[in-house]
Amino acid sequence: MLTLVSRRLRNSLVLLMLATLLCFTLVVSAPGNIAVLIAELRTPKATFADIHKIELELGLDQPIVTRYSHWLTGALQGNLGISYKTGEDIGPALSSRLPITATLVAGGATFAMLFSFVLGFAGALWPGRFADVATRTIALLGASMPSFFVGALLIYGLAVQLRLLPTFGSEGLSSWILPWITIGLLPAAVLSRVVRVGLEEAMSRPFALTAVAKGLTRRTILVRHALPNIAPTYINALGAQTGAMVVGAVVVEPLFALKGVADLFLSGVLFRDFMVVQACLLVFISFFVVLNLLVDIGMMFTDPKLRRQGS
Amino acid sequence: MASKEILRVSDLCVDLFTQRSVIRPVDGVSYSVAAGETLAIVGESGSGKTVLNFAPLGLMPTGVNVDLSGSILFNDTELVGIAEPALRKLRGGSIGTIFQDPMSALNPARTIGRQIAEVSELHMGLSSSQAESRALDLLKLVRMSDPDARLKQYPHELSGGLRQRVMIAIAVAAEPQLLIADEPTTALDVTVQAQIIALLKDLQKRLNMAIVLITHDMGVVAGIASRVAVMYAGRVAEYGPVGDVLVEPRHPYTMGLIDAIPRADDAPGSLFRGLPGAPPILGAPIPGCAFAPRCHAAIESCHITRPALVSTVQPLVSAACPIINKHNHGGAYVQH
Ligand SMILES: Nc1ncnc2c1ncn2[C@@H]1O[C@H](COP(=O)(O)OP(=O)(O)O)[C@@H](O)[C@H]1O
Ligand code: SF4
Ligand SMILES: [Mg+2]
Repeated sequence: MLTLVSRRLRNSLVLLMLATLLCFTLVVSAPGNIAVLIAELRTPKATFADIHKIELELGLDQPIVTRYSHWLTGALQGNLGISYKTGEDIGPALSSRLPITATLVAGGATFAMLFSFVLGFAGALWPGRFADVATRTIALLGASMPSFFVGALLIYGLAVQLRLLPTFGSEGLSSWILPWITIGLLPAAVLSRVVRVGLEEAMSRPFALTAVAKGLTRRTILVRHALPNIAPTYINALGAQTGAMVVGAVVVEPLFALKGVADLFLSGVLFRDFMVVQACLLVFISFFVVLNLLVDIGMMFTDPKLRRQGS
Repeated sequence: MASKEILRVSDLCVDLFTQRSVIRPVDGVSYSVAAGETLAIVGESGSGKTVLNFAPLGLMPTGVNVDLSGSILFNDTELVGIAEPALRKLRGGSIGTIFQDPMSALNPARTIGRQIAEVSELHMGLSSSQAESRALDLLKLVRMSDPDARLKQYPHELSGGLRQRVMIAIAVAAEPQLLIADEPTTALDVTVQAQIIALLKDLQKRLNMAIVLITHDMGVVAGIASRVAVMYAGRVAEYGPVGDVLVEPRHPYTMGLIDAIPRADDAPGSLFRGLPGAPPILGAPIPGCAFAPRCHAAIESCHITRPALVSTVQPLVSAACPIINKHNHGGAYVQH
């Protein structure tokens, strides 16, 4: 078990290194001369000499490999360079924004989990009844509606019309509810289908008939026999949906005026502030890698076949 | 055979409604089972043995709707039309079941111990630790090696024979009066088959339970059963004490089945001697004798009138073939 986990851990590290290399290359090869941009930002009438000075200052004249290793060693020490746009250190800016995105994603994932278990289970227990039809409908609508549209609808309905919730700002828990629902609704709908379909499939397997022959009720069979069988699939899907929330955050953070990492990333892209973009991508990639590792471990714990292989 | 009758099936018909079709795989079947005895139900694959036994217990796969008519008395309780909660109390309690394929009948995500223990928790009101120790006793009862370790194992870690022992432990956990075993050895190795049959015989004696054993193996019938019902195309072709039926069958189909038993003097690797032809495909009702197309003794009237199951020259044996039996009998039961 432990050896299996440590092997996965090592793979994750290799993956992380490869991913940083890829992300560095992508950003460096993006069109647009960053030195020109910065020179224009600093002095409206920049000369070639100004631009050259900035290129030297940023180390843009160095070979790519040197620039990458500089950036990486710096990054490992928490030194993520300075923003071309503001001239500030990216490290502190990032760490003040991290909790906001983390809260957004963690809350969204929790909402998606609760929602999907309750509705997916209810749908399987009473097929064709309200919960079943509701999740089907929401899943269908959710799949065809982009999250900014969901967010706009929620803001309009719950905050503007009914004045139930604040649209933005930091008024404690209540200001988080709309962002959580907006980012979590589609994953919730997808996951409730995973629960519903998975339970139904498990109930059609022969072991479910054995459970009926034992005299158990349908509810007990769903909880004790079907649920453990969908756990690995569910954890996998939950991981994928939570990972995709990073994309959702790029839309949801600006929508609710949340100053998170995704918001920073967006402004970095808009201003071609590639140090900022790199730093944000690094955060996202680390998140994906850790998430993947957690999913692997979770699946190992819930699938007896995988568990025994590891020990 | 003076013991009390615990199961009486009378004129049972089962209709199955699926999305595509309506069929009647069980058509007017009657038999009875006494406490502590073994009734074997034999017949080729598709003759309705599984549906006959499991449809009335609500044990059909999802997506199939069942309609029953006739009567099934289990200890004076009528099972045809019984309410689901009452039926649920019987399942796993006084009626235990073993399925054909032990590889898929156990839950892959739960330990052997939990899967056995939950039956005694439910039907005997044991606490989870009491049920756990009873599960250990049950594993010993079904003669499982290293029972302590088995409790914590998962199904995929056990062989087919061991999984079938676990299934048997589950089926007898609440000490049922009736055990229904649907081809419990068909999916197993030949060497393991004999062990499982021996185990069932032993458990029957210890727990004094009746067994309905579904099989297509005449050898198994001879080894364990006291009575046998031979099924063909959803009907009973012949019914009676094993000693009589196997020694002197009164129905051409039973004769064919017995003739198909592999013998010691068969050339190694020789083909199944079997009956020529195949059983009818269920669909439109068959007006005459369902066996007629394959029967060497068939005459014209066999295709027209359905033969009833009636007593033969051996009073304890009944058969649904008036042609073979007419010369042997006074004629009172013969129908044309
Ligand atoms: N779940 C089902 N859905 C539709 N038809 C079924 C189902 N189970 C059995 N049948 C039909 O009922 C008939 C009897 O099947 P079964 O009782 O399984 O036979 P046996 O157990 O003797 O092999 C067959 O014709 C089979 O096609
Ligand atoms: S009734 Fe006719 S067809 Fe049927 S078994 Fe007897 S002889 Fe054969
Ligand atoms: Mg069968």
